[in-house]
Amino acid sequence: MSYFTTIAGGLKSLVTGLGITARQMRRKPVTLTYPHVKPELSEAYRSLISLVQFEELETHDCIACMQCVKICPSFCIEIDGGRVEGIKRMRASKFEVDFALCSMCGLCIDVCPTDTLEYTKLYDEAGYEREWVYDLLDPFRDFEDEFVERQRVSDAREAAEKAAKRAAAAEAKAATEKEPEVDP
Amino acid sequence: MNQSAPDTLERASDDETYYLNMGPQHPSMHGVLRLLLHLRGEKILDCEPVIGYAHRAHEKMAENRSYIMFIPNTSRVDYLSGMIYNIGFCQAIEKMVGIEVPARAEVIRVIVCELNRIQSHLLWLGTFMLDLGGVTPFLYCFDDREEILTILDRVTGSRLTYAYGRFGGVTMDVDDVFIEQSRAFLVRLRERFLMYHALIRENVIFQERCRGVGVISEEIALKYGVTGPSLRASGVEYDVRRAEPYGGYERFDFEIPTEKAGDCLARFDVRVREMEQSCRIIEQGLTALPDGPIGPKKLIKKLKPPKGEFYFAVESARGHFGMYILSDGSDTPAKIKLRTPSFSSLSSMPDVLRGTMVADTIAIVGSIDLVIPEIDR
Repeated sequence: MSYFTTIAGGLKSLVTGLGITARQMRRKPVTLTYPHVKPELSEAYRSLISLVQFEELETHDCIACMQCVKICPSFCIEIDGGRVEGIKRMRASKFEVDFALCSMCGLCIDVCPTDTLEYTKLYDEAGYEREWVYDLLDPFRDFEDEFVERQRVSDAREAAEKAAKRAAAAEAKAATEKEPEVDP
Repeated sequence: MNQSAPDTLERASDDETYYLNMGPQHPSMHGVLRLLLHLRGEKILDCEPVIGYAHRAHEKMAENRSYIMFIPNTSRVDYLSGMIYNIGFCQAIEKMVGIEVPARAEVIRVIVCELNRIQSHLLWLGTFMLDLGGVTPFLYCFDDREEILTILDRVTGSRLTYAYGRFGGVTMDVDDVFIEQSRAFLVRLRERFLMYHALIRENVIFQERCRGVGVISEEIALKYGVTGPSLRASGVEYDVRRAEPYGGYERFDFEIPTEKAGDCLARFDVRVREMEQSCRIIEQGLTALPDGPIGPKKLIKKLKPPKGEFYFAVESARGHFGMYILSDGSDTPAKIKLRTPSFSSLSSMPDVLRGTMVADTIAIVGSIDLVIPEIDR
């Protein structure tokens, strides 16, 4: 008797399994055939980092504060830079990242005081070498001289404006102090 | 059954016996675990797990970097429930230093951790079925798991090795789309549970391969410190979320599923029921998600921890994950010891495997849900 119940139980399992498979066969396939169909990356996708190009500056705003160098758990960022003759803003002159080491944790982005770092959507890079060093400043190099010149002009204008304002304020103050004497 | 089994591998020398290396490169062994089996015929006389093939020195790495720099490491300790480890480490540091976590961040953490737990259990379910010879359920499980990965990818930016937690909060806020997606996923998953029940649980072959196989008795489980679903399948109701509530779990209403039998089938049942409980927790979290900040305004990067020893534990998908932190008062930990659940579960294997058949080894080792890099760290 148990022999036949075992067979019946086995058959029932088989039929249930086949039924579920048959139902699944009618569903749309969920597999993406990758190189032909590419997945849509989410907005938050964490990948390699790059420098943000700010609209008002028309360039990046890395001030070489070394915060990201200090916090990087993979020790893969190298920055040079500092004060540039004639302008107030600090500028980076080298921003090298070895992406072979980067673990995309995003600590550098969180710590950046000027928010000039962002994620890219790069995910299919391949190379033949172990080192995978990028200088993130490369796309900004051509513009750098012009930017410094502009910054110099705007700094000078700002300084002049400030001086003018100060002078005006002093004048106004002098005027208000003087006036009561004249009036009576 | 196992009267003739020797106590150690050295003592057994018999013409009829032989040794078999299962792993480290074995098609159905999880990761790079090597089991040195001593056999007579197909019966296992003894077993010696050999570990260390995936050792990455995470604990040592912690000693030469500041606390915040250890965050990306944590999710790589156990890559299947990385979120729980990641958030758990942040919670440990918060408790040590005394950082307040905003209510919204706390609930978000619970939701993403439970999603991660379901994801881990789904992967276990799929690979366990694969171990038992059923390829089809594996694909269905991965289909479901993919949904969770997509949901988490949208808010955390990564699919497996999360770096979502920060001291005092999380990196990115969740939005209405996330809530909608999670709710839709829970509805879908509950339908799929019915299918899994019919396809797997009621299958005769599955029952025959699991019932009474690989019994971890309560005594052995407690002796070796087995935790998580494997312990609860042996009849001990221990869950860190309930025993020492952390991260706001005390405000959630959920059950701790337990089974008495302690065999592969019991472990399967416990994990499936745990997924259902996780669904409940997520639902409550989504309903009660408060407004407010998701973390401190400025990244907390320098810590001034008190001197001394500190221990904090969370319930990962595999069990009791503890962090023992030795602080010398500086920003760099003097020592971080990670207590990982898979290691203890694996330690019980020689006792459990003795006397069973080779063909059951994969079922038993598969049923305790090992993640090898987590054992080695």
